Amino acid sequence: MKEIIFAGFGGQGVLTGGLILSFMAAEKDLETTWMPAYGATMRGGKANCVVKMGEVGGERIGNPLMGHADALIAMNEPSLDYLGKTKKGAVVIVNSHGVDENYEYPSDKKVYKVDSVELAEKVSNEQGQNLVMLGAMMKVTELYPKDEAIDLMCKFFASKGKEKYNEKNIAAFLAGYDAV
Amino acid sequence: MSETVLMKGNEAVAEAALRAGLDFYAAYPITPQTEILEYLSKKMPELGRVCVQADSEITAINMIMGAAYTGKRVLTSSAGPGISLKQEGLSYCAANDLPVVYVDVQRGGNGLANMGSCQTEYKREVTGGGNGDYHAIILAPASVQETADMVSLAYELAEKYRNIVGIMTEATIGQLVEPVTFKEAVDPASLPVPSWAKTGKMISSSDEPIKPRIKDAKPKADRAKYFQMKEEVQMWESTNVDDADYVVFAFGAPSRVVYDALLILREEGQKIGMIRPQTLWPYPEKALEELKEDVKGLISLETNCTGQMLPDVALARDLHFKDRHVPVYSCAYIVLDRIPTVMQVVDDIKAIISGQTEEAY
Repeated sequence: MKEIIFAGFGGQGVLTGGLILSFMAAEKDLETTWMPAYGATMRGGKANCVVKMGEVGGERIGNPLMGHADALIAMNEPSLDYLGKTKKGAVVIVNSHGVDENYEYPSDKKVYKVDSVELAEKVSNEQGQNLVMLGAMMKVTELYPKDEAIDLMCKFFASKGKEKYNEKNIAAFLAGYDAV
Repeated sequence: MSETVLMKGNEAVAEAALRAGLDFYAAYPITPQTEILEYLSKKMPELGRVCVQADSEITAINMIMGAAYTGKRVLTSSAGPGISLKQEGLSYCAANDLPVVYVDVQRGGNGLANMGSCQTEYKREVTGGGNGDYHAIILAPASVQETADMVSLAYELAEKYRNIVGIMTEATIGQLVEPVTFKEAVDPASLPVPSWAKTGKMISSSDEPIKPRIKDAKPKADRAKYFQMKEEVQMWESTNVDDADYVVFAFGAPSRVVYDALLILREEGQKIGMIRPQTLWPYPEKALEELKEDVKGLISLETNCTGQMLPDVALARDLHFKDRHVPVYSCAYIVLDRIPTVMQVVDDIKAIISGQTEEAY
């Protein structure tokens, strides 16, 4: 079972980012859960979701809440509060645009810094910062091969009637993928 | 079977009800179940069915009662405080044998309550809830798929027994997104009109009365019906109980934490099993037949502070183990906003095994 935390401010696309991961797993007939931060959340406030995915078909997912994550995607500094919910050796993808460069990370985590704002702007997809982070995470964790991940991401947006943005979204994903 | 989609537990309630032929829904918004109303307010008008955001929970349940009299499939939903307001109406529905289905997406605590994912409505739901002398069948799903499955089952049971059926979920299950496959949609117009339904035509002498039958016949029939449901409707899922020294009873979201905890405890050589009640009334007393004769203890695990399910586990124990005393322990979690962590459950079960926790019954 894999567990990934996607965290940031409301409006940064963290819930969608997590939903894409859940969608990918479901498309591969794996069990999956997506659990949003529950409570009074709002645009600009703290937001997060935790996604769990089976690694083989039929692997059942028990507790859907945050526990021992394999990866944390942190779009801002408050998201690093969840470092305590990650495993030893966990991958942490940090948005360097939103986190102090002198932040002291625990030594047992593999930290990758990605400037999601700059990279998203470079591919003219400012709203695709979550996809930049997703691309970076996909490369580092090798969760799914690049082409398969891109196909599934496009399928996700198509299922929401947003396939016309696929090209821009692929560009954002690749910007992150190639940055780590 | 239709294709698998990702959906929230609350949305799955709504979609499954629509597919089961839901014709009339009335409710008042409350966290954490408002997605049900939101989803149905969009879909039902498109299908030519009726969705009402009532001016209060009390109005909603009385509308439901009226609609149910016509033999149509109806639904209302709320969280703990809203279902409290509906108790008078539900008691009237019981008095008139109406097959009403309701959903309680529990939040936590007394009075207005908080938004925590809790199981604080167990005691009320399993005892009927309103005044009088009745039981609703209470179904408790632990996943989005099971939520959807239980909605269609709820209508079958409600109509089979002419009884109220409550689906008791909780914030975590309502907000959780998981893959779900729905049953094929049923056209409400294709459903048979029950013989007792009030269709607006002249009432003939053969019609069953609308008014509660208050003479002896009604209580006697009710008693027989409740015994029959107790015999026929018990549902549960068991995990590793065959060789278990200790068996945890847990339902809904916390049962999923127990599932993970059992994996850890098994790896450490502890033989722990779980019985997950899927019906809370009738309580799955028959599940105890799966336990080994020399089981050392039973544990009632739930997310409320008073241990509301605990007496039901003790009663089931008394019914099954007549010749020796098997201790029943309580793990009742007072954790606002969340269900306990896996390690918390592991530690608490270990404390019971090592004799540090006193038995409750």
